Order: sequence, then C-alpha cells, then structure tokens
Amino acid sequence: MHKLFALVRASWLVGASYRMAIITSFGSLIVTVVPVFYIARAMQPMMGKVVQGQGGDFFGFVLVGMVAFMFIGIAVGTLPGIISGSVSSGTLEAYLTTPSSLPTVLAGLMSYDFLWSFARAVVLVVTGAVLGAHIAWSKSLLAIGILALIVLSYLPFGILGASLMLWFRTTGPLPKAVIGLSGFLGGVYYPTHVIPSWLHSVSSAIPLTYGLRALRRVMLEGKPLSAVASDLGILTLFIVGLCTLSVLAFSRALHDAKRSGSLAQY
Amino acid sequence: MTVTLTPAGAPAQISRVSDSASMVRVDGLTKRFPVRRGWMDTLRHPLAREEATALAGVTFAVERSEFFGLLGENGAGKTTLFKILASLIMPDAGTVTVNGLDVVKDSARVRGLLAPVIADERSLNWRLSARENLRLFAALHNLRGATGERRVSELMEITGIADTGTKMVGQFSSGMKQRLLIARALLSHPSVLLLDEPTRSLDPLGARRFREFLRDEIVARQRCTVLIATHRAEEALELCDRIAILDRGVVRAVGTPNELASRIVGERYHLWTLAPSHAALACLVAQGTINNVVIGECDEDGWTCVQLEIPGGPRTASDVIAALAAEHMPIASFERVRLPLAELIERIVAGRSAVLADA
Repeated sequence: MHKLFALVRASWLVGASYRMAIITSFGSLIVTVVPVFYIARAMQPMMGKVVQGQGGDFFGFVLVGMVAFMFIGIAVGTLPGIISGSVSSGTLEAYLTTPSSLPTVLAGLMSYDFLWSFARAVVLVVTGAVLGAHIAWSKSLLAIGILALIVLSYLPFGILGASLMLWFRTTGPLPKAVIGLSGFLGGVYYPTHVIPSWLHSVSSAIPLTYGLRALRRVMLEGKPLSAVASDLGILTLFIVGLCTLSVLAFSRALHDAKRSGSLAQY
Repeated sequence: MTVTLTPAGAPAQISRVSDSASMVRVDGLTKRFPVRRGWMDTLRHPLAREEATALAGVTFAVERSEFFGLLGENGAGKTTLFKILASLIMPDAGTVTVNGLDVVKDSARVRGLLAPVIADERSLNWRLSARENLRLFAALHNLRGATGERRVSELMEITGIADTGTKMVGQFSSGMKQRLLIARALLSHPSVLLLDEPTRSLDPLGARRFREFLRDEIVARQRCTVLIATHRAEEALELCDRIAILDRGVVRAVGTPNELASRIVGERYHLWTLAPSHAALACLVAQGTINNVVIGECDEDGWTCVQLEIPGGPRTASDVIAALAAEHMPIASFERVRLPLAELIERIVAGRSAVLADA
C-alpha cells in the first residue's frame, strides 16, 4: 500500500507543478456543466418521460452519464498512455529494476488519474446539485461502488490497449472504438431503449449499459442494492471475462517484450 | 588468471569459470534479436524471420568487490548483456547468476541484489526534486518511513546533491543527473552495480570527478561489485581491476589491462638513432621481421625516433638490433613500448592479434 501511496504522491507533485492545468481542469467542468444544464432543462418536457425509469430528470440523467463516461475514458486510455510514456522515457525500465511487481507499479501510476477524476466527478456532481439535479446523497457509497464496477469492467480494455502498445507500439483503434461505442450505445446521453431496435443487441454487449442504468437508479432515484442486483450481476460477469482475457494478453505481451528486448525501444 | 585473446570471427575461447566465490557468473550467454525487415521484403516473404546475434556464448565471471569493465564499440552487445543481468531481457541460451541466483528463475531476488544505473536521464522524473525522486524509488525498494528518509538523505550527501533543495531535476546539469541516477541505484544497498557508459554525457572534468567518486565511494567505501560498460579505454584503465573486450557479441579477451597489454603479440618498440637507415629498415620490413615502421622527425640534438613493431617477441628484437648494427645504423636506445589500451582494443577487435592463452 505504501508503494501505491508513493506513486500517487509523486504523480500529484508532478501534476501540482502544472498549476495552470489544475485551474483549467476544474474551470472547464463548470464551463461544461452549465450549458448542459440549460440544454437539459429545455429538453426536459420531451425527455422527462423517456428517462422516467432512471430518475425522470434529464439534467440529472446526463450528469450521471457524463461522470461515468469520464471514468471509462480514464479506464480505457490511462494504462496504454502510461506504458507508451514510460517506455519512451525509460521510466518503465527503471521501475522494473526495483523489487516491486509491475502490476503494483502500474496500479500506483493509474491510481492518481482515478483519484483526480474522482475529485473532478465530485465537483461535477456538486455543481449539478447546486443547479438543481436531484442527487440521493444517502446512497453515495453504493454509487461509488457501482462506479468502481464500471471502471473495473472497462479497465480490461485499457489492459488490452497496453498489451497492443507493448506488441505494436500503438493501441490501434481499440480505445476510440470502445469509448465511441459506449458513448453512442451505452446510454450516456439518452437511454438505450430509444436507439433503433436492431442496435439493441450491440447495446446489450456494452458493460456501460448495465452500469449506468444501475448507477442512475441509485444516484437519482435512491434505489437500494437489491433493485440493481441483476444489472450488477451482468456487470460482474463482464469484469470476470474481460479481466481474464486482458491479463492473459498483457502477460504474453510483457513476456514477448522481454524476449525481444523492446521494453525500452520506442 | 586466464587471459585469452581470439581473433575476430573466431568462436570465443574463454575457459569456463568454476570459481564459486564469483559474484556474477555469465556462462555461454546467447541472445538474438529479430531484424526489422522492409515492407517489400515482408510482403514477399511474410513468414520469414531474420535474426541478428547480439551475444554469442559470452562467458566470464566477476569477483566480489571487483571493478570489472566491459569494453567494446557501440553495438558490441554491452547494453544487451546488462539488460539480461538486470532481468529486463530474457536470454535465448546460457545462464547468468548473481550471487548464485539465476537472473531468469529468481529475477525478483536478483533485483534486490543488483542495481543497474540506467544512464538515460529521461528515466528520472524531471518535474520532481532530487529528494522526491529518491523518496519514490525508496518506497519501491521497500524502504519505509524514517528508514527510507534516512537512506535518501545519506545518499544525497554521498553523491553531493544534498544542497539541491526543491530544485526540479529538469534544471539539473548532466553531472548532477548522473549523480542522482547513481543515488537512485544505491538506494537498496545493492551488492552489484551496473554502469552503462555513465560518463557519456559529462565533460572531461566532470567525467574525471565522477570516476573518482566511483572509485573512492562506490568501491572503496560501499564495497560494491561494479560492472561498467564503456567504450572509453581511459575509463577502463583508471577504474577496472579486469576488463573483458566484447566485439560483436563475442568476448575477445578477459584480463587486467596490464596483462592484456603485455601479452599482446607484436609489441611496439622505440629506437633512437643519429642516422636512420631507410634501406636497412625497408629490408627488414620486406623480410616480414618488422612492420608498421614510422620514422619521426629529427630533434634539436640530431636524434631520430623510429617506431616499429616486432611480431616475433624479444628474441627477434635482438636479431633486429644486430641486423641494423650490421648495416651501420648507430642505435643509442632501444626500448619496448606497451601498446596503449585503446589501440590494443582496436587490434583485438580488428582481429589482428593472435590467439594466446596463458595461465
């Protein structure tokens, strides 16, 4: 645990040395959420019924979608970015020469991005609440748990991207395809039942569909765990399957990189 | 001590090392890398696979607290060898042990014993101070709390970067970054330190100071076993107890600098004369008794220095003196000059030396 803390601390110190970036990171949230509020309020008469099963308030619906979408971006993109950056700078090699295991190092390096995103998500949700979104604060812990499951279901795509990075020095279209498909068909800005029926099967193969539905019911309607258990069960199956696949791929990629000596060749 | 020189292209003839007290043992180490092929070649032969040999049966041993140099030109295989030692690359064949631990099977334990100094300054975190860089790696080396903090302060003192305060590493000079890289490597009290061309980005004065630091602090006080890869012969001469000359993945010679220099066949001689006889010298060259003759300029007192090489050793040298005296060439001084290490390496690599084995 102290290793994770040390890595998070170092990342924070680096991040904090870019003061302007910190200010703009939070400033951009306000700039983003205010227009969304006005657009959602204008669309409420039309969308209110459509999102009835997930809170009924279109602004709250989009707000939760934005939070989850921010996290899947981090889950999918961070690890390949870390691998790419640390291979080209030589820091990965430096980390690998310590007795710390690679999963520990990578978890530590990723943790900062997740914690940072969490801080941004809190600002986003609080700003939304101030603007009028109805948030079930009493279910915050459950909501955080569901958010963690959403992240875990997308992390394997990040691990697969990192494997591709080790093999081919590029992730190819994988991260964009995963994020794009999840954004369009996972119910971020509109519920999945409004998309054409022939796309429903694609939508049901996206973890975000289940995670977001559960998250909205808990965060916006204050539903208990039992009400979202089936969605969380499916999400867990995604996690188990995808994690197994991605860990196997990453182990293989790392083995091949050590064989070919490409860990420090960009 | 075994000193073996092999001509270029010949298989390595380094005898197997059986000394169990060795800190690092490399035995028959071989590594090949796939060669990147062009688009057309790949399209024509998609399944073909080309490989380049980086290391071919490398064998040597390094004793405890020894300063061991790996000399060779760029591309000789030094960095590959170090990366295998640091368990960053897996070998194709052969074994490497550090204090008896196999670097492939016991890689985690080996990483606790051995510290490579990654010479790439970019592997440091440039937006952090030296102390913060060291704190991070102290944690990764399982040094917690006060113990870690004490070690960090101690190393900053030893490496002379204690007064850098909160200054970011990006603002450091190359020399300071090198010191920080060394400090980082020493965090875990390593038994073996790997230095890959540590002075390549330092100016001559900085490089000299750095070598002093290595000799006085790392070896004399810390009692580290040090392997240094370099293509600077003067660095090897100044620091190393023994050196191995690596050429295109093959160890051409192992021994102390003096042993290598004194055992090289075809030693160089300086001859001082008042009247160099070109005809006599040309005759000996034609006979193959001497070669590489350089007749210098005449000095103020009328003496001329003739540099020459006599491949046959001291006995032939006396024959040469006799032959020149018979041709009425007055010789005032005749001395054997040891080959500078740089030239020695060049010759070994060029394959101009003969195979020589001497216990």
